[in-house]
Amino acid sequence: MEENAYKSKSMHEDLPKKTLWESVSDFFKKDLVQYIVKRILMFIPTLLLISVLVFFVIQLPPGDYVSAHIAALATEGEIVDADYAAQLRADYGLDLPIHEQYIKWIKDIIWTPTDSSYYRLYGSHHNWKYSFAYGRDVWDVVDDRLGLTILVTAIIMIFQYAVSLPIAIYASTHQYSVGDYISSVIGFLGAAIPNFILAIVLMYLSYKWTGNANVGLFSQEMLQNGVQLYNFGEFLKRMIIPIVVIGTSGTCGIIRSVRAQMLDEVGRQYTLTARAKGVPERTIIMKYCFRAAINPTVSGLGGVLSSLFSGSTVTAMVLNMQIQGPVLLKALQAQDMYLAGAIVMVQAVLVVVGILLSDIALAFLDPRIRYSGGGR
Amino acid sequence: MKKRLIALLLAGTMTLSLAACGGSGDSGSTPSDSSESTQQSSAQESTQESSTQEESAPPAEASAFSESPSLTDLVSAGSLPALEERIPVESDVFVDTTDALGNTLEIGTYGGVINLGGAGGGWGLSRPVLEGIIRFNSDGTYYPNVIKSYEHNDDYTVWTFKLREGMKWSDGEDFNADDITFWYYMCHLNNYDTKKSWAALKETVDGEDAWAKLDKVDDYTVTWTFVNPKFPADFIENGDFKWCWAPEHYLSDLIPDTEEFAYVENPYYAKTGLDDETVLKNAQAKGIDAATVKDLGKQVAYYFWNEDGLPTLNSYVLSTKEGNNSKDAQLCIMERNPYFWKVDAQGQQLPYCEEIHFNTTSEDGQDQLMFRSGELDILGSVPMEDISSLLTDLGDSAYLRTLASTNWGSYLLTFNYTCKDANYATLFADSRFRQAMSICVDRNQVSGLLTEGFLEPGQCAPQEGNFGYDEEWVNKWTEYDVDGAKKLLDECGLVMGSDGFYDFADGTDFVLTIYTYTDLGMGDTVYPVLEQYFNAAGIKCATKDYDVSAFDQEIDNNDWYAVLGPHTAIGGVSLKSRVQPFVPIAQSAEWYGEYGTYYDTNGAQGVKPEGDMAKLVEIYEKWKATPDSAERDKYTLEIYDLHKANLWTIAYLKAGGDYNIVSSKIHNFPDLLVSDDLYQYQNIVHYWTLFKTE
Repeated sequence: MEENAYKSKSMHEDLPKKTLWESVSDFFKKDLVQYIVKRILMFIPTLLLISVLVFFVIQLPPGDYVSAHIAALATEGEIVDADYAAQLRADYGLDLPIHEQYIKWIKDIIWTPTDSSYYRLYGSHHNWKYSFAYGRDVWDVVDDRLGLTILVTAIIMIFQYAVSLPIAIYASTHQYSVGDYISSVIGFLGAAIPNFILAIVLMYLSYKWTGNANVGLFSQEMLQNGVQLYNFGEFLKRMIIPIVVIGTSGTCGIIRSVRAQMLDEVGRQYTLTARAKGVPERTIIMKYCFRAAINPTVSGLGGVLSSLFSGSTVTAMVLNMQIQGPVLLKALQAQDMYLAGAIVMVQAVLVVVGILLSDIALAFLDPRIRYSGGGR
Repeated sequence: MKKRLIALLLAGTMTLSLAACGGSGDSGSTPSDSSESTQQSSAQESTQESSTQEESAPPAEASAFSESPSLTDLVSAGSLPALEERIPVESDVFVDTTDALGNTLEIGTYGGVINLGGAGGGWGLSRPVLEGIIRFNSDGTYYPNVIKSYEHNDDYTVWTFKLREGMKWSDGEDFNADDITFWYYMCHLNNYDTKKSWAALKETVDGEDAWAKLDKVDDYTVTWTFVNPKFPADFIENGDFKWCWAPEHYLSDLIPDTEEFAYVENPYYAKTGLDDETVLKNAQAKGIDAATVKDLGKQVAYYFWNEDGLPTLNSYVLSTKEGNNSKDAQLCIMERNPYFWKVDAQGQQLPYCEEIHFNTTSEDGQDQLMFRSGELDILGSVPMEDISSLLTDLGDSAYLRTLASTNWGSYLLTFNYTCKDANYATLFADSRFRQAMSICVDRNQVSGLLTEGFLEPGQCAPQEGNFGYDEEWVNKWTEYDVDGAKKLLDECGLVMGSDGFYDFADGTDFVLTIYTYTDLGMGDTVYPVLEQYFNAAGIKCATKDYDVSAFDQEIDNNDWYAVLGPHTAIGGVSLKSRVQPFVPIAQSAEWYGEYGTYYDTNGAQGVKPEGDMAKLVEIYEKWKATPDSAERDKYTLEIYDLHKANLWTIAYLKAGGDYNIVSSKIHNFPDLLVSDDLYQYQNIVHYWTLFKTE
């Protein structure tokens, strides 16, 4: 008994109470800065490798933008002769060997010199080139939909976590209860039903009940005057279907993984000890179990930045949402390689950065995780 | 529906070639008591001798013109000149009283928005709004449109265009002969618009390409002078020659004078002296983004309707409002042109509606949902299988309008006659093989399975009501007979193998690989149905479904065997629209494959055609050399006879139309028009005369 009491006391003394600020600054004092610098340096070869893959994979399908463009013209009744096609290829540099095209592309993205025509026209040192399909600067096309994509995806993600985490905690603390079963069934349904089918069904129901299928995020009026305070309600109404469709598909995964982790944690000895020592159940769950259980979810956040940028492609197509995903699809279909390349490259950068951020968050969340091996 | 189609084809009887090169049969479908009819008269006269009677007809019925109240408000506010200052002089105003079928138009009321589906493609925005040099009626006759009149001298070497005095660009600047000389010398001849290859202004002199000489006679008259006779079919009727103007006041600082766009000596304009970078900078200042000057030229001098702020002569112009000013925007808006030069029979300035909205959707069927929700007014290209359910559900709130096609059939199967594999090339060249492929399919069943009986069985031939219609041709090889097909395949030298499928006589497998492209959707709908019939006749087949550009690549590389739903189909409205669908002279259509390449490259590449394929070109050369319309018809029919004899492409069903479901709020949308590239497809609806009532 005495020994136990001593241990308990010593344990308590070993864990002095820290403010959040102290925890954070202590955290960054460690070898983290060195780690971050190392990781950032690793970005360079990683991204270069990705850029090579991206550029070559995009060009894998037979033909190029010019052949896709000519095919599209033929569909409109316009016949283009071979000379013109050759001329176009020369103009766009598509007649160069692929490695030369790549070097030119990546060089201009990294640094376009001040004495270049591009810099004089656009005032930028980063020439992402020109989107053939949209007839505009690549970055303009991306920028057009960036705000909306981030807004929509952020709202959907907040919905996902706001819904799934409480459900997961409830399900794990009330294992095999009616509520657990109901949430599991709904979660599985959400995951099992393909998004595009759910979207179509919901649009149908919306049309049946309200006379309006709510195709797209904006009414015509919003498309002319923008989303303002007076029509924000209408905008939110139009967000319901995308949120339900995209949100529910992701919630199941989060519910299941957090629930399983939580169930693991609630049976652990430290939980039992805390419970035996009379720590309130709420504190046990939220402060100890949940913190440990959320590990896999946090490590999965690496992809969040990238998803914020691109949004959901298939659902966006079905629901006619003008976000980034469909632009990438169109770019790939039209073999608009600079646009597709830019989008995929930005996604790659965001994934790499996102993984770093999630690693840092994870380490902060769980002090057992360290950045370098050995001795600790 | 079938009855409607037949009615169309009878009513609309389009005897294009009977249009006598200058439209001698064009009475009755354009205004009869207006200045416009004068232009029509001159169109008729132009086929005989030079005509100069354009001032003789009375002006519009109304002595005073009127305008939309929204424009009156702008006039009152001082931001827009009075109507009389915005439109041509009274005698030169175009009075639009009839639709393209010759029916009298209902007098409309102002206001409202016409909601359409997405514009898509480079031409999408132009279809409802583009105003051309001439305008075709549904029967192939035509009359002057933007120009007031045209005439030619006795030997067809000098053509004179007269313009409408007082006509303005959509920004209020004068439209006159300078805009034509500017277009020709500064945009066209230096290939700034990338279309110097247009045949209408080109001829051959001493074995070399030469171009017409354009002269300004006065502010409202120009002449085109050729060395050789330039017949109407190669000039005014040529499908490419839709416009010959560009807004000098807007484009003059956007034209470089570089090696690539070398200045063409002319008495009207000096060198601009601008380099590429300056031009791109000037374009940027006007909100025009272009990667190269060549792109810029094509954008502003060719696809000009797609650039906001660029003045046009069209009924509606692209809005300059950020977010709605691009064809790619989810909502693209075209606003009425306050300077539009057409009025209705009561003198009301057209168009009636304030705006056209193009609502881009990302998936098929979304437009139908939007139409049902009342967000669209016209639903174009409705799939046949959806028509009856839509009409039943929508009841009185919508009606069907069919734009008949000039296609020669549906579900077309074409073989590669210049196939690299000699076994296949020989087999495809044997007409018995094509006959077998045609009669082994039960067309009635296909019609029921794939079109709910909407399209009738038929062969690849001019459809009823079109020039060259021949009942025997339409029904040739359409009788379902599997045993007969097998007999023919035996006669072709194929040998039935132990697996129940035919092989070549040398023992190699015969597999008919049928190529399709995804956009057409035949790979997963039509092919599986046809495959069963082919298999039943002992023909083993496979399919390859490609994205359209990859598909074209295969065709260009001559790496293909057969194609279902060719990208560049055989047949069409007339040789004067496009020659390639009838004669193998270009590198474009599947039905003549490498034979076309041979002519296109003057024999340098491709395969030299022989037999009937070669005869097509021989007859075409004679067709080209005569201005006489009756003689041209004779040659056209000779070409048709060769098509009938050979059936280079097989059709399984008759041609379908472009089916539109129109909200009953929309008026003046005629039924049974003919849709064709020559008529600019939907342009024949005359959107500026549509009006909307609640």
